Amino acid sequence: MSAEETQTATLEKEEETQGTEKKEEALPIVRYRKVSKSFGENQVLKEVDFDLMPGERVAIIGPSGSGKTTLARLLMTLEKPTSGTIEVDGRQLWHKEVKGKLVEANEKHLHEVRGDIGMVFQHFNLFPHMTILRNLTEAPVKVLGLSKEEARERAMGMLEKVGLTDKAKAYPANLSGGQQQRVAIARALVMRPKVMLFDEPTSALDPETVGEVLDVIKEIAAEGEMAMMLITHEMSFARDVSDRVAFFDEGCIQEQGPPSKLFVQPESERLQSFLSRFNLGEENSQ
Amino acid sequence: MVPIDVIAHIFDRLLPGAAVTVQLTVLSAILAFFLSFLGGFGRLSKFRIIRFVSAFLVEFFRGTSLLVQLFWLYFALPLLGLELPTGLVGILALGINYGAYGSEVVRSAILSIPQGQTEAGIALNMTPGQRMRLIILPQAFRTMLPSFGNLLIELLKGTALVSLITIPDMTFEAKSMRTNAEEYTLQIFGILLILYFIIGYPLSLLTRWAERRFSVGRS
Repeated sequence: MSAEETQTATLEKEEETQGTEKKEEALPIVRYRKVSKSFGENQVLKEVDFDLMPGERVAIIGPSGSGKTTLARLLMTLEKPTSGTIEVDGRQLWHKEVKGKLVEANEKHLHEVRGDIGMVFQHFNLFPHMTILRNLTEAPVKVLGLSKEEARERAMGMLEKVGLTDKAKAYPANLSGGQQQRVAIARALVMRPKVMLFDEPTSALDPETVGEVLDVIKEIAAEGEMAMMLITHEMSFARDVSDRVAFFDEGCIQEQGPPSKLFVQPESERLQSFLSRFNLGEENSQ
Repeated sequence: MVPIDVIAHIFDRLLPGAAVTVQLTVLSAILAFFLSFLGGFGRLSKFRIIRFVSAFLVEFFRGTSLLVQLFWLYFALPLLGLELPTGLVGILALGINYGAYGSEVVRSAILSIPQGQTEAGIALNMTPGQRMRLIILPQAFRTMLPSFGNLLIELLKGTALVSLITIPDMTFEAKSMRTNAEEYTLQIFGILLILYFIIGYPLSLLTRWAERRFSVGRS
């Protein structure tokens, strides 16, 4: 049985990667396979297959409660899938292989694999008892094992990128929502993840601070090194920043494609009616 | 009125007792503090058996009289062949009793920290231990302080009970003084009250200082 499984797995791999040398580059950095998630009776994800390529920026749009956020939370290991598998850079995330069989991953395994993933939350979740600088240096020192000087340097560089070097010694409570979210982005970036998840990063912000956060994300996206999964309700932002847009509804990806196609010629009726609620032209002129 | 030398004499006689009261307070507070965390973490353990045992012990020591616990350790334990020094009995009973109360403070403070803080810790790939040590506890500790302050003062007042198992604390000295000088009952117990306040009030100030100290950055 297990021999058969291995063989199928090898076949699949060969199918997907025709070359031999270049196959590393061609492999997805994240790969969801038949991932389902239920909370009690409520099934929020239904056998989702989803790939994210290295450096690719995917915007995930869809109505509230469609499972977008859950998709990201499963990858960040904040939520456990009910069934299916997730691979990160070729390694199983929620499972590990013991004697040829996939068994449930323990905390140690999760710790090893999720280092590639970073996340920015809707509600920032900064550590209120630490200064801004400490918010950015704590994990690099304690998790990555950087020296205090290295971590400080990295953190200050990142604060410069988000335009908040003057707030290094302040506490989160003294910052506006937009500033806090920029700090949260910097805090995720200092860990240098291969994949960054943005879970509705501007939904909790005052309208006047949304722009500054989106600008920072656009800037990071333009560098093009990290794969990004952007869950957002900002349609013009999704269009401007992403290589691909995936439309989520009722726990499945209903439609996906490049923004130029998806926003201009949506195929499914659902997407059409969803998009009709946003006036893209007007948003763009702002 | 009462001559000043009578007052001075009462003070003199009560001071060694006051030293015993302070000692008992400090030592049992240290024990209670330690047990608070042990019990608090125990009740949050991922192992059901540890949760159950901690909950049972906490409820048992909270739910029975401190005085009876003292009597039990002092009078009953020797009958089972275990005789502890009287001072130790006092410290143990006070420490366990207030530790049981304190464990509830620890437990609820830890649970009061928003889930988002834990999630941010996971997103930064911290281990469960790091999340607790670096993120949750420093924030929860601040929440614990006012309740710990209350318990500390309760504990100080609770030490008066140990006079009933012949530990020569302040209350014990006051009572024995009164037996020989009943005409001064008013003065003796009046001064006893003042002495408790003199010890207790700095504890309030200490708690308030600690609250401020741990509130940096909070609006």
